[in-house]
Amino acid sequence: MAVIQLESVVKSFGSVKAVNDLSFEVGGGEITGFLGANGAGKTTAIKMLLGFIRPDSGRVLVKGRDPQLAETRRLIGFMPETAHYYPYLKVHELLNLYGGLCGMSKAEIAVRFSELIVKVGLTGAENRQLKTFSKGMLQRVGIAQALLHDPAVYILDEPFTGLDPLARIQFRDLLLAEKKAGKTILFSSHELSEAELICDNVVILKEGRAVWSGTTAEVAGDGTQNLERVFLRMLGVAHEEKEAL
Amino acid sequence: MKIALCQIRALIKLSLLELYRRKDIVVVLILGAVLLLPLSFVTPFGMSGAGIYFNEIALVMVWLFSILIALGVSSRIFPHEFEKRTIYALLAKPASRSVVLIGRYLGALTAAISALCIFYAAYTLLCGCKQGVWLSEVLLQAFILHVGLIAIIVALGIMGSLIMTSSANVTLTLLIVFGMLFFGGRLPALAATQSLFAKTILYTANVVAPHVEFFDMRQRLVHEWSAVSWLVCAAVMAYAVLYSAAVLLLADFFLRRKRF
Repeated sequence: MAVIQLESVVKSFGSVKAVNDLSFEVGGGEITGFLGANGAGKTTAIKMLLGFIRPDSGRVLVKGRDPQLAETRRLIGFMPETAHYYPYLKVHELLNLYGGLCGMSKAEIAVRFSELIVKVGLTGAENRQLKTFSKGMLQRVGIAQALLHDPAVYILDEPFTGLDPLARIQFRDLLLAEKKAGKTILFSSHELSEAELICDNVVILKEGRAVWSGTTAEVAGDGTQNLERVFLRMLGVAHEEKEAL
Repeated sequence: MKIALCQIRALIKLSLLELYRRKDIVVVLILGAVLLLPLSFVTPFGMSGAGIYFNEIALVMVWLFSILIALGVSSRIFPHEFEKRTIYALLAKPASRSVVLIGRYLGALTAAISALCIFYAAYTLLCGCKQGVWLSEVLLQAFILHVGLIAIIVALGIMGSLIMTSSANVTLTLLIVFGMLFFGGRLPALAATQSLFAKTILYTANVVAPHVEFFDMRQRLVHEWSAVSWLVCAAVMAYAVLYSAAVLLLADFFLRRKRF
C-alpha cells in the first residue's frame, strides 16, 4: 500500500506552474529519491506533503490522510533543506521544544534524546548553543529532530548537504537502518551517487512533472547506464553535452 | 486539549529562553537602571511637590520602556521565523497554526510581563526610598492594568508582523498606541463637531482602535489619589482580553493564509 501519494497535483504561484500534474507513489518501508534540477518543483511538492501549502488541484495524501491535518503530521518526520534552528538554544532544549510540539512527555523526550544524540553523533555537544555549531553539526541536529517522535514517514529535503564524507556514510547507514525498521523515506537530493546507493526508487522531476520514475534496478538496466545518465537524459542534456561542460 | 497545552507550554519556554539568551534581559536591566539611578540620586532640596515630578518622569519611562519591549519582542517573532526558516521545522510538527500563534503570543506576553515586573520593581524601590511609599492598592491596580495594555500591544505587534514589514508594523503600532493614549478619550467629543465624513472616521476609530487611556493609572499614582473600584479594573481587563482575542483571531486568519 502506498504511504505517500500524489495524484495529478498542480500548484501555481502567479503565472509560474511550480508543480504541473505531478503523480507518484511511495510504498511502505521504501527509500525514494526525489531528484531534479534547481526549480524543478521538489521543495514545492515537499511543502504540499507537509501541509504548508495546498495544491490548486489533485490530491496529496500521507498514509491516506490529508497532511493539512496536525494528526497526519504526527506520522511525519521532516528535515528542512537549510538547517536553521534557534541559535540561542542548546540541543536538548531544541529537542525538548520539538518533543513538546509532538505532545511527548518529558520522560519520553529524555529517553529518545539519549538514543538520538548517539545515533546522530552529537555526543558531547548536548549543552552547547546551536550558534556555535558547524553546518554539518546543524544537519545532524536536523536529523535528530526529524527522528525524535519516531514517525513512520521521513521527508528529508537535501539531507546530505553540508555533511562531510564520514557523516554521509553514517547518515546513509542510519537511513538504511530506519528502512529496515519499516520506515518510509522520501528525500530530495542533488547527490545522485547517494541516491543510487540507498534508494529503492527514484522519481525525477522536470518543470514540475515526474519525467521518470522507477526502481534503481531499472536505472541500472543492462548495466550500461547509471543514475547520472538517466538523470541527464530526462533533463534533456545529452551525455556529450555534459562531457563538453 | 492536553497536547495543545503541552505545545503551548513548549512555545512559551522558547520565547523566555530567547529573551534571556539573546541578552534582551540586559537591555531590560539597563532600562531599569536608567529608570532608577538618576532619579534616586536627585534630591528635591525641599522644593514643594518636586517628588511628584520625579514620580511622573519615572512612570513615563516605565510606560515607554514597557511598550517598546513588548512591541520589540512581539513584532520580530514571526519575521524571524520566516527569515531564518525555523517556521518549517515548527509547522512540520503536529501543531496547528493556531496553536503556534497562541503559543508564540503567550510566550511574547510572558517575556514582556517579566520585563514589566523589573520596571515596576525598580519604580517601587524608587518610591519606597524617596517617598516612603512601598506598596499601595493603586500601584497594584496600575500594574494589573499595565499587564492588560501589554497584552493588547503584544497582540497588535504579532498581527502587524504578519501583514507588513517590521518597521511599518512598529511605527504604525506606536502611532496607534500613543495616538489613543493622548486623544482616545476625546474622540467622541471631537467627532461630534466634525462633518459627516470625518465624524464617521473618528467614530470608527473610537470603536476599532485600542483604548489605551483606559489602562493609564499614572495620574492616580502621581497624585496619590484613591484606587478605582476593582469592578472597573475587572471591566478594563475584560476589555483587554476581548480586544487581544479579536486581534489574535485576525492574526490567525493572516497566518493561515500565509505562504511560506
